Amino acid sequence: MARLEIDRLAKAFGAATVFDGLDLHVERGETVAVYGRSGCGKSVLLSILSGALAADGGDLRIDGKSVIDAPPEARDVGMAFQNFALYPHMSAFDNIASPLRGQKKPAREIADKVQAVAALLKIDHVLAHSPQALSNGQRQRTSLARALVAEPAVLLLDDPLRNVDAKLRYEMRLEMPNLFRQFESAVIYVTQDSREAMALADRIAILHDGKFRQIGAPQEVYEFPCTAEVGQLLGDPAINLFACESAARDGALLVNPAGCEVNISGRYDLPAAGKYLAGVRPEDIDLAATPAPAPSADADGPARGIEAVVERITPANVRSLLVASTAAGETITVSLPELAAEQVAPKSRAWLSFPADKLLLFAADGGQLIRPNPPAGG
Amino acid sequence: MAALELRAVSKTYRVGDREILAVDDLSLSAGDGEIIGLLGSSGCGKTTTLRAIAGFVQLTAGRIAIDGNDIHNLPPARRGVAMAFEGYALYPPLRIRENIGFSLLRERRPGGEIRRAVREIAALLDIEDILDHYPAFASAGQQQRTSLARALIRRAPLTLLDEPMSQLDPQLRAQVRTRVKEYLAAHRLSAVFVTHDQNEAISLADRIAVMEQGRLQQFGTVGELKNRPNNLFVAGFIGEPPMNLMAAEVEAGGARVKLLGETDNRAAAAVGELRLNGAAPALDAGRAHIGIRPHQVVLADDAPLRGRVISNQWLGDQSHVLVDLGGLRIVVVSAGRVRDLRKGENIGVNFPPDAVIFFSAKDGTALPRAGGHGGE
Amino acid sequence: MNSPAIMQTVFDKTRIADLLTTAGYALALTAVVLFFLFPIFWVLLMSFQTNADILRTPPSLFFSPTLSNYAAIFAGKMETSTGTQDITFLRNLGNSALLSSLSVLLALALGVPAAYAFARYQFRLGEDIAFTLLSFRFAPPLLVLLPMALYFGQLGLNDSYWSLVWVYQLIVLPLVLWIIRGYFEDINPDIEHAYRLDGNGWGATFLKIAIPLARPGIAAAALLAFIFAWNNFIFALVLASAAKQPVTVGALLFVTGSGIQYGYIAAATVLSVAPILALALFLQRHLVEGLSLGAVKG
Repeated sequence: MARLEIDRLAKAFGAATVFDGLDLHVERGETVAVYGRSGCGKSVLLSILSGALAADGGDLRIDGKSVIDAPPEARDVGMAFQNFALYPHMSAFDNIASPLRGQKKPAREIADKVQAVAALLKIDHVLAHSPQALSNGQRQRTSLARALVAEPAVLLLDDPLRNVDAKLRYEMRLEMPNLFRQFESAVIYVTQDSREAMALADRIAILHDGKFRQIGAPQEVYEFPCTAEVGQLLGDPAINLFACESAARDGALLVNPAGCEVNISGRYDLPAAGKYLAGVRPEDIDLAATPAPAPSADADGPARGIEAVVERITPANVRSLLVASTAAGETITVSLPELAAEQVAPKSRAWLSFPADKLLLFAADGGQLIRPNPPAGG
Repeated sequence: MAALELRAVSKTYRVGDREILAVDDLSLSAGDGEIIGLLGSSGCGKTTTLRAIAGFVQLTAGRIAIDGNDIHNLPPARRGVAMAFEGYALYPPLRIRENIGFSLLRERRPGGEIRRAVREIAALLDIEDILDHYPAFASAGQQQRTSLARALIRRAPLTLLDEPMSQLDPQLRAQVRTRVKEYLAAHRLSAVFVTHDQNEAISLADRIAVMEQGRLQQFGTVGELKNRPNNLFVAGFIGEPPMNLMAAEVEAGGARVKLLGETDNRAAAAVGELRLNGAAPALDAGRAHIGIRPHQVVLADDAPLRGRVISNQWLGDQSHVLVDLGGLRIVVVSAGRVRDLRKGENIGVNFPPDAVIFFSAKDGTALPRAGGHGGE
Repeated sequence: MNSPAIMQTVFDKTRIADLLTTAGYALALTAVVLFFLFPIFWVLLMSFQTNADILRTPPSLFFSPTLSNYAAIFAGKMETSTGTQDITFLRNLGNSALLSSLSVLLALALGVPAAYAFARYQFRLGEDIAFTLLSFRFAPPLLVLLPMALYFGQLGLNDSYWSLVWVYQLIVLPLVLWIIRGYFEDINPDIEHAYRLDGNGWGATFLKIAIPLARPGIAAAALLAFIFAWNNFIFALVLASAAKQPVTVGALLFVTGSGIQYGYIAAATVLSVAPILALALFLQRHLVEGLSLGAVKG
């Protein structure tokens, strides 16, 4: 029995379906990131889980007990809001103590627990302050402490790092998984930042067009998105997608995304002259200042590069983003480590190649992932 | 199409009997066609600065000039600036199309030209499909792009943008940034924008002004801010994750450096020792702060500094590892994936001497290196 | 480039300009204050003058101040040229205080929960009911007065405090409802929702979160409602006997057969304005306090 079970949950506003038939089980101590673009229904899902909105259909069970008809106060759910939603007329201490007071815990125990969780989040020195007197980061931590203090069965986090600055966001991103491990809640973490989802989640659930399109470990969803669409959703910068055809030559199976020939023998067993959608992540593309040698029949050999002009280079953090265009008019996004990107000049020519072992093929119609063979000897 | 100059600009607000110094002696100049980002956390004075350029804030002291002409006493309408507001400030009774074309209509441009210009800018920002809607029926992201379009369509000598993309999805934001940057470059327009998001500043701006507590901390390109921060504040603010900063004790001559722990923890015991081959600045023996960017730290089994892995997060295109060196936590970033490191594992870290930056323990300013090695 | 000397003159010029602006604002504000406060000031002066002093021509600022008007009001005896008359002004004042306080308390007891319901819940005919209540404010009281007087007479409700308090709801309840509703709508629903999740029912959430956060609105509405109730004239004139009438009606007594007793009226006015002024000053603290300070803007 999972701690939280979402079972065929449905919700519509009038004729507009938000989602239909959502299924998700979250285990004790597990963090699932619900990831999707704005407007995908993430907030509606949280509102239903917390009891602010009624569902149209389906069931919701916490520790095996259906709570779909229970009012918010009877669900054993804690929530940290994107806007923090602190009680402005209470001190930080009273804010954090509120869930314990709601459970009529003795004053002694309340004081101890608030102190403990505040110490864990490093806000024990500001407990007497009112929310107005706190910094943005302290407010965020207070709201998190309030959600955690009663050790709820289910912890809902609504994009809690969206309104804090980069330094704090980064610190919290590293701290939060360790923090959640100390509690036994089932954690639902809603975010629209793919890196945050990758960093924090045990599993990622991709919510898009009213359905969970894929639920899996971050690595699984990132490396093997079940459709081209999911591949595009998760990842910043987004995956490159090119239409391509397969061809057999000299006993090898080749595809030609963006005019770049890639030998996929061994990785895929596909008929020749098939049409596919090829996906390659920007960080997987090799960029060289000179042409690569001709392809060998060996699948592990280097692929033939395609000549392209580097249109612009945008430094991001740690990595830089290069946009290159080929003579045939294809635009390719490449992500290079910052130091490597410093060696590339804007408007210079470069040869790009797609490593065969990172290339993903999707069905040309529908975009379903075509699972590659497991690597030989692996 | 304009060069902007701010000279010794200050703004003091009076709240009751308290005086709040929102902008303190700020000077910076931007060249023709340059895009400048004002970056800082809330309350740092960046928005006040922008509003002062626009003319909504009366300066307490200082001057603002566009192309050498003082404008700080002119009313907003006569400064030749276009502005996109953080709260959008769209005209509710007008359709999106009319909102965008409003300024051209005021200039009595011919209808065909206005329609063409509106279509072009709407295509650039992906709001063609809502041109006939009213603002109330557009999403926050669409309203924000409308407000952006209304400012850009004017092609004013100076365009001012206040948090122009805060409401957009991350992927749309990246696309809009690129297009706005190309548009500004294509028409050789100068722009100043305010943001608290350093990724936005980095990808949109030619140069970035980092502000904190009303003061300009540093004004420079991304590379300068990241690799040669002026002071501890910039070092700890720029970069995601920002630079690792720690207190240290430098031996005379700078050959050896003892790491003492986190910068705000002065009582820490030494956690390790660095040999920097004379790269340290020529300072007398004593306290200093040192910094190293997370992706320049090298994980190596045989490194002299030993630590324990606290977490290892893989973000798809990079890994972030948090290492505890006995009371001092440092972040190591690898552009690839560090697959095999588990929580609790013992690991060595190495600081390449060239990558270490020194800061004064007194006032936090960056110290020049010995022998001009890698420094300015 | 400017030399420092030129910069200095630039600064001096700005400083002089600043000074002139400040002086201009001060002058303009003083004029406005004088304009609005003059009638009150004049009434205050009148209350210390005899009727003869007030009515002399030309009027003059110089007079010998007297407390006779106040003394007469407190003694309950009015001296006119035709003789001494009893006045019930103090009783009227007490009636006003009682009627206004009870009306506001009843309006808050009914209006605050109703305003919350209108702000937070959507129910059938909700907007229609809210608008109907507001429309009571548009109707001229005379429209309903006659039938109401007849009904009240038949029901035996004439001339009781409770019937007046009830009728006063026509004036104060819509006011309370619409002002406080706006304040409830401004509270971020997430804050209330967070409190529910903390294990509290909607009742506790209403009492512990919604009401404290809407306090400035409740204070403003209560004050306004009190003033409206205090100033009401027509309902009390028709529906109450002399013993239960408020100051607004009681002031009619000063229009005597031997002329209008301006001195007494002025003193009575000062006495009847004083409680409202005191109340406004007392509530000011609650009025200026900000709202929704715990949430960041979206």
